[in-house]
Order: sequence, then structure tokens, then C-alpha cells
Amino acid sequence: MTPRRVFSALWSILPLVISLVAVGAILIPIFLESTPWPVEARNHLEDQGVAESGAQNLVSAVYLGYRAFDTLGETIVLLVAVSGTIGIIARAKGALAKGFDREDKGSPVPAVALAAGTTSLSAPPPRLRRAKTRTDLLEVVTGKLGPVVLVFGFYVMLYGHLSPGGGFQGGVVIASGIVFLALGGKEGASTRLTEAGVLARLEAMAFFFLVLAAFLGMFMGSGFFTNFLAGVGLPSVGFIILLNIIIGLKVGAGIGFMGIAMLSRVEGAKGEEVNHD
Amino acid sequence: MSPDRFIFGVVMLPLLGAAIAFIAKAFGRDRWTKGLEYLGAFVGLGLPWVVMVATLPLVLEGGALEGVVGLWNPAVGIFYRFDGLAWMVNLLGFSVAGAAWIYSLGSGPKGPAFTAVFLIQTSALAATSMTADIFNLFVCLEVMGIASYVLIASSDKPGSFLAAFSYLMVSGTAMVFFLLGIYGFYRLTGYLSYQGIATGLASLPNFGGVTGILSLALITAAVAIRVAIMPLYGWLPDSHALAPHPVSAVLSGVLIKTPLFALSRVLLLLPLGAQAGELMGYAGAITALVAVVIALAQKDSKRLLAYHTVSQIGYVVAAWGAAIAVGVHTSLGALLMAGAFLHALFHALFKGLLFLSVGTATDTAGERNVYQLRGAGRILGRAGERFPVTTLTFFVAALAITAMPPMNGFASKTFLTYGLKGTWQYSLLFAASLGTMASFIKLSRIFWPPKKSTLTEPVETNPDKPMDPVHPARKIAQGLLALACIGTGLGAPALFALTTELFSSGPRAAGTTLGALARAPQLYSVDTLQTTLWILIGGIMVFLGAGTPWGSGLLRVVRERPRSFRGLFVSFSLGVAGLSAWLLFI
Repeated sequence: MTPRRVFSALWSILPLVISLVAVGAILIPIFLESTPWPVEARNHLEDQGVAESGAQNLVSAVYLGYRAFDTLGETIVLLVAVSGTIGIIARAKGALAKGFDREDKGSPVPAVALAAGTTSLSAPPPRLRRAKTRTDLLEVVTGKLGPVVLVFGFYVMLYGHLSPGGGFQGGVVIASGIVFLALGGKEGASTRLTEAGVLARLEAMAFFFLVLAAFLGMFMGSGFFTNFLAGVGLPSVGFIILLNIIIGLKVGAGIGFMGIAMLSRVEGAKGEEVNHD
Repeated sequence: MSPDRFIFGVVMLPLLGAAIAFIAKAFGRDRWTKGLEYLGAFVGLGLPWVVMVATLPLVLEGGALEGVVGLWNPAVGIFYRFDGLAWMVNLLGFSVAGAAWIYSLGSGPKGPAFTAVFLIQTSALAATSMTADIFNLFVCLEVMGIASYVLIASSDKPGSFLAAFSYLMVSGTAMVFFLLGIYGFYRLTGYLSYQGIATGLASLPNFGGVTGILSLALITAAVAIRVAIMPLYGWLPDSHALAPHPVSAVLSGVLIKTPLFALSRVLLLLPLGAQAGELMGYAGAITALVAVVIALAQKDSKRLLAYHTVSQIGYVVAAWGAAIAVGVHTSLGALLMAGAFLHALFHALFKGLLFLSVGTATDTAGERNVYQLRGAGRILGRAGERFPVTTLTFFVAALAITAMPPMNGFASKTFLTYGLKGTWQYSLLFAASLGTMASFIKLSRIFWPPKKSTLTEPVETNPDKPMDPVHPARKIAQGLLALACIGTGLGAPALFALTTELFSSGPRAAGTTLGALARAPQLYSVDTLQTTLWILIGGIMVFLGAGTPWGSGLLRVVRERPRSFRGLFVSFSLGVAGLSAWLLFI
């Protein structure tokens, strides 16, 4: 290596080094902070968490009770991410080729695009070929495991107020059960849970009920996102169970939908479902 | 029903609309789909106005709705505060989003999925405007961000995926640091609400010392990425230029300002917030000038507009930062804050209109290059636009952004610069005004008649090509925004009074009324008109200067300056480091 090349190599990692040093210098004092930990929220949860929310699992009490509004936001992040991913998968072939291979005469391809490694992405995305990615072993194992995983997912979702778990975790397990079923099931299998259209409907309805559950407190409870079930005389933990179920179904359907889409079943089966334009 | 019950309607009605649109998408394929989608849009963009009107008397009296979501214990719940500031930000959001959605009916992207994501974005705007909890602010920013990445990627322009991706990457990185900043504050105080953090810090020796300062720097810098001021603006031009036109209008008009006003709640409460605001104000003034120079160099008409967004947000941040630095209780601070807000609002209207009208013209002509496209008005006429709505609305918006009376931009820039008079920021903003004038003379050339000697526009060369008629929805949206530009321009003094009145319920301790403190400066005085004349003359000179070989050579260097994906991250870390150093040592 000539000194000139060493120099240019160093020069090219210089920004990286500067960034890391700057960020490190900022973060280290925060992590080395030595003031005593604040205890007020902890004490409140310890003393009254179970009584106020009704959930034995205080994590559930926090994310579906005290800070359910934040959870609504995070659920929406997931919903939009899934929706956007499906949209990109559905259009990726054409648009990617258009974006990377050809230059639009009116607008030059942005320099950012060029710097981000145009060449590595210019090949069309590899398509999953069914014949090569599927084996008997895979089909038998996933097909048999799928229902078991689904049941476990529902357990995690329904017992979230008592034990570790809840809607998000249970939903992801449900989604893996759905993906297992899709991998294991043959064409024309007996479940409809692996159809993109069914999952999309399930997700949309779950989201609708989630928004409704937040809304109903305005009319039936004592305010926005209050427990409307307590208003009609049910135990207060009912609201957390309800939210766990709704979120579990929504997350399961959403992520399962995305999994199915990545197995490239969406375009064939329900092409128009995912068409954004 | 008391207002604190339904106030979350501004957040939840768009979400309900989005849910309806998602249902339309999932169950669709019959004649109900469209109906359900439009119902969703009405619920999400129309019904919130009922809430807005219902809460207006309350915020006009200087009142505010505040409390904990779900009525939980304040130690662990989420605080919200709906006051004049939140009302004004919602006004901005719902007016531009409504017009942009109507426009999208004529231009695309169409379909229930687009409507749903668009409504979610609107909902996140409303939620951001009224949150008083720092973790909830994080969630709101995330929702807003993810909706905009998806909307940018929904464009079929080449490169829009990459634009969305770089925005996602840089803003996702910034949000990690935002979260670390939240950790720092929570570690020190045990609270997540703004008020709790402020009181917690006040009880600590030295306001929490280095950790407190660094946490503030992390949070401020992460929001500054969203606001796109120098040096953190790099993601914006691509995303805004490549997004679909109605999305560009909302991104430029509303999305980059909402985090700024949400941040003002934090900075006004926390110790050292004033210093952070001061530095952001300086960065804003520099941004206004630098971005306009880059804008002047652009060829692509929408990219030119995108750089103007960076420049105009620089104006807003310059005044906003100065207001935070002197404190909004002082009469100067109140004047500056009101000027900053009015410019944000007016910019939302005229920049939204610019994106829409330029979008219509360039779509119809099939050409976006400023140097190529000529006679856009005639092309639009051939496309069936008998009354030149697009041409007229473009010129309304161009006059507004260049601060010509009686448009709204003149009023807000006058208010805003009046408060900065005599500072070095004022000179930078004045220079930026010349650049704005010059670059809009340049952009308006797309409506000039074609020159015989130069290249004729591509449509002229093949007259057989059938032209899509301009959809009436586009004209309606443009007309509405143009009327709003003129109307707000004529009613600016009254709006100024209203703004200061509404901000008096703003993020501050109860006590003095702000409205009495801020006097609106005289709009049409010899002084302001003289300034306008100088801007006009100076702008023409700059425009002519840019046309000379020397000028165009310089602009080419600016246009072709190296930009890189990595640069976005380097500039972020340098921005955080700079802000931290400023707060630590000054």
C-alpha cells in the first residue's frame, strides 16, 4: 500500500471516527450519572398498580393501562410499517428497476441515491422459487407445528395480564404460527388463515376496534381512553384483556400478512388488495 | 359533554377515519369501497373542525384543557395540554391536509390505503401539538415519521424509495438519540411529563449537571432533524421533491413545523432551554440564506421548491429561536413568537399551493426542468383549463413567498423581521429575501411564453399526444389555498392579534396576558414598502446576476456539490456535538 492510499483510506474513515467520538463523548456522561434513582413511579406501581389496573403483570398495567395512549401509537407504527412494506413489495419490481436503472431526464437521480450503492441494488430482487425453497421436511414440520404455535400465541395473548406476555408478544407468536401454516400447507389446504385477504380484513377490523375502545371511554367511561368496561360494571382488568386481544389479533394478522407477502403469495392471490394506487 | 371529554377528537377522529379507510381497503372491491373511503376522509378531515370550533371560545379566553390521558395518577400517566398553541397548530394541519387530500383526488396517489396513511399522519400532527409528555412526544414523532416514509415511497418517481429510505435511516437514528435523551431526564427526575421534568430538574443541584444538558441537546437535535435546519436538512430536498404533490404540500407545509412548536413547550419549561433556542435561531438565520442560494441553483422545479422550504423554515426558526431566547413573556418575545407562528401558517398555505400548482403545471406539460419548460399556461389551456386557475394560483403563491403586498407572506415576513431588526440575523434574512425573489422570477419562467430560438417544450413537438385534462379536484384545492393566501394576507393584523391572544394560554405559567404585550407593527408604512421595493430591485439584480456566465458557473458548483448518504449521519453527530458544546460552555 502506498502512503497515498493509506492516507486516502484514513481520510475516508475520518468522518466515521469523528462521529463516533462525538457521540461517545455525549452518551458516556449520561450512562455514568450517579444521582440516586428516582423512586416515585416505582413506589406508586408497587403500592397501587394492581389495585388500579387489576393486572397482576405490572408491565401490562403500564403499557395497556397507564400509558395505553403510547401503545396505541406504537400499534399504529406497526400498522403503517406493514402497510408500507406490503405496498413496496407489491410495486418493488417495477419501481426499483425504474429508480435504479433509468434516469429520469427531468430530475437527475439524487446524489444521495448514487452514494448509497446503486450498483448493488440494481439487480432485480431475487424471487422466491417454490420448488427450490420447499422440502418435504420443511412442509411436514411446519405444518404440524403451526397449530401448536397458534395455540401458544393465543395463550400468551390471553394471559398477558397475569404472566409475562400480552398482545404484542402473543401477536408475533400468532404471526409465526400463520407463517408456519403457510409454509407447511399445500395448495387448497383447509385453513383460510394463510390467505392475504383474510388477514388484511382481520387487521383492519382489529384496528377499528382498537380505535373504538379508546373512543368509547369518552361516552361510556369518564374520559378519553378511560376504562369503559368499568363504566358498565365489569372488573377493571377486563379492559386490559380486551386490549390484549385486539392488539394480539392486529399484530398477528399484520405481521402474518407481511410474512405471507414476503413468501410472494400476495401478488398471485390478492394482487388488487395491496395495490396502493 | 364537557370539552375535556371530546378534545381528543382531533387525534382520534382522523384515526377513526383511517380505520374506516383500512376497512374499505380490506373488504373492498365493490361499489361501497369508494363511499367508505370518502366517509373515512370526511370523518378524519371534516369532523375535527367541529371540535376546533367547539374549543375556540375556551382557548380565546386564554384557557387550556390539560390533564392525564385516561385519568390515571400523574406520577405514571401521560399529560396532555390543549391550549392556544395546540389550537393554532391544528388549524394549520387540518387546513393544509384537507386541501391536499382534495387535490389527491385529482392527481393521485389514490385509494383507501393512501387515505388511511394520510389520515394517520394528520392524526399524529394533532397528537404532537397537544402532548405534554416527552415519551408521548417520541411516539407521536415516530408515527408521524413512519407515515411520511410510506407516503414518500408511494410516489412513482424514480428515486422516491431511496429518498424515503434515507429519511427513514437518518430520522430513525436521531430518534434513538431522542430516546437516550428521555432516558437521561427520566434517570434524573423520574418523570416523563414536561412539567415533572422541569420541577425535578429544578430540585437537583446545578439542574442535573452535565446529564441534564446533554439530554436536552439530544432531544433538541433529534427534533431539529425533523425541522430540517442547517446542518441537519440533508434528507429533505429529495423526499419533498420526489413525494407525490399533495404529500409534498403537507410535508413542507405542516410536517416540519409541528415538531418545532411541540419543542417550544419543552424548551420554555426546562433550564437552558432558552440557550438551546438561541442557537437554533442562529442556525435558522444561516439556513434561510444558504438554502436559498442552493434553491437558486436548482433545475428541477420541485427540488427548487423543496430547498425553499428549508429556507423559509429558516425564517421561522430564526424568529422562534430569538423568541425563546428572550422569553415569550417579554413583548419582543411575544412579537417574535407570533411572527414565527404566522409565517409557519402562511408558509404552509403558500408553499402547499406552490407544490400543488407547480405539480399541476409540470404534470400536464410532462416536464419538470425549469430551463426547459416554457408556456405552461398555454399547455394547461390546451389541456382544457379555460380559466387559468393554475397560472393565477401559482402567481398568488409566488407573490406570497416573495413577500409582496398584499399577500400573506408580506405580512408575516414584516412581523417576523420587525422583531429581529438591528441584529445580524436580520441582514441574513434580508439577503435571503433577495434570493427568494430571484429564484421565483426564475421559476415563474415556466409560465412565460416560449422563446422562438430556444428549445420548445416537449409537448409542442408532438401535438398528437393526448393530454390529460386537469382534474377539477386539483383546481378546487388550488383555488381554496389561493383564497386562503389572499384572505390571510388582508386579515393579517387581525390574525396577529388573534395569535398573540391564543398564545397567551401558551406553554407558560399563568399570569400576564400576552396579547396586551405584543403590538402588531404597522404593516403598510413607508418603511416596509421601501424594504419591499429594495427586495424587488435586489431580487431582479440577483436574478440577472445569476444569468451571467460567472453567476451560472457559481450556481453549477453549488448544484453539483458532493452530497452523500453518510454525510447525513456525520452532520447529525456534529450537530449534536455542537449543540452540547454550546450548552456546556456558554
